[in-house]
Amino acid sequence: MSADPTTTAWWLLPLLMALLTGAMGGVAGPLLVVRRRVLHSNLIAHAVLPGVALALAAGIDPLLGGLASGLSVTWLAERLSSRRLPDDLGQEVVANTLLAASLGLGVLLIQALDGDVDLNSLLFGDLLTAGPADLLRAAIALGLLLMLVCGRYQQLVFLAVDPEGAAAAGLPVRRLQQLLSLATTLVIVSGMAAVGLILAIALYSAPALIGLRTAASLRGALGRSAAIGMAVAVGGFGLSLLLDSPPGPVIACLCVPLLLGSAAAPHRGKR
Amino acid sequence: MLQVQGVSYRYPGKASPAVLADVSFSLGPGSLTALLGPNGAGKSTLLKLLLGQLTPSQGRLLWYGQAMAPQRPRLALVPQRSAIQWQMPITVRDLVALGTLAAPADEPRLAIAEALQSMGLASLADTRLSQLSGGQQQRALLARALVQKADLLLLDEPFTYLDPPTRQQLLAVLRQQACGGRIVLVSSHDWGDSLQGYDRALLLDTTLRADDRPDRVLERLQRP
Repeated sequence: MSADPTTTAWWLLPLLMALLTGAMGGVAGPLLVVRRRVLHSNLIAHAVLPGVALALAAGIDPLLGGLASGLSVTWLAERLSSRRLPDDLGQEVVANTLLAASLGLGVLLIQALDGDVDLNSLLFGDLLTAGPADLLRAAIALGLLLMLVCGRYQQLVFLAVDPEGAAAAGLPVRRLQQLLSLATTLVIVSGMAAVGLILAIALYSAPALIGLRTAASLRGALGRSAAIGMAVAVGGFGLSLLLDSPPGPVIACLCVPLLLGSAAAPHRGKR
Repeated sequence: MLQVQGVSYRYPGKASPAVLADVSFSLGPGSLTALLGPNGAGKSTLLKLLLGQLTPSQGRLLWYGQAMAPQRPRLALVPQRSAIQWQMPITVRDLVALGTLAAPADEPRLAIAEALQSMGLASLADTRLSQLSGGQQQRALLARALVQKADLLLLDEPFTYLDPPTRQQLLAVLRQQACGGRIVLVSSHDWGDSLQGYDRALLLDTTLRADDRPDRVLERLQRP
């Protein structure tokens, strides 16, 4: 069921969806930024498109298709980076090439399948058409993400600050990285209805930076980042109604002033 | 007892040259050993082999006579500075507490407090890691390694950018650890006054060029 402007509380579902999406991006963002995995999450955001397109065309849950293609491309990227091109240049080129190829493949699939899959809403989101299934999916994804963070908090901190030391201490580094990739894919696909696959990255980056620069612990950074993410998502939704514009692009644009705010914010980490 | 027997390593690829060739030595408990060599000598590769991150192309690594991989000793690593995410929001106390993940202590708070005390960081326990000086940061990493209560303590270029008094201070702590029965191996491309604090020095340059007392290795280095 989509939001119906004729009902009195038509705004409630998109608002909740915006809140959940902002929270998901805000919690996942600092974990990715400290691990320098923002490019990796951008790759995932593009890599889920072919799977989502196929799943929608086949009438199955897009989350399943997105997870399958997102994780497959991530696996391929890590395989190519570690075995064939094991240096910084190689890793960046591999990620960007697969990112563009995934987007291209998704677009080609949507054209070839000739169904009623709306490419624009997949890429850029459409909060006003979000339904209860989208909301449920986002709530489950946020719940799983919080379970990962709470259950593995100390391990995630060790991995973030000193990955080599964590591996030497016998921590399951590879499994933690796989769990992070899985969680990232899950929240990107789940937030698709709100900000789309391409614009989701904005919610993973700017709020995380402010959180990391101003908090004394990763826990604090996650909380602040989530609060900022929710504020930006809800603010962007409200502004988009005023401007009569799609919410996803407005939310992404609102993240730019956040970067400026981040530069001005008191930096707890500076000596 | 750690034994490195005829270990060679070359990175995957037919044409890649050997990074390590036929390296053999053994280290007993209670030893403090310097692993010396110029950049590219294979020191970091040797540490990765000891950590199990790489597998020798030839030769074997033994821990008390058994193959190292399944019979893994308790390891702690103080990595090179470039491997640390210094901007991570974490206090010194929380960083040191991470060591209890590897070695759960009966009284973790006490173990953390003791490690902070021994590294002279008790008054900085609630300071964010990125607000410390380079020497203090290095001491914080070492404090975490102490909490891990490792059998084998590996340090990769720990003295880079440190002034001589701080080096001596860290070396004294490492000496205490060795006296406690641990095997301590310190990789460094920089040799000088602080080399006298070690029991032994291994000079590596793809092959093991010297394995002797530090003064004798220094003599060999100074020979034209």
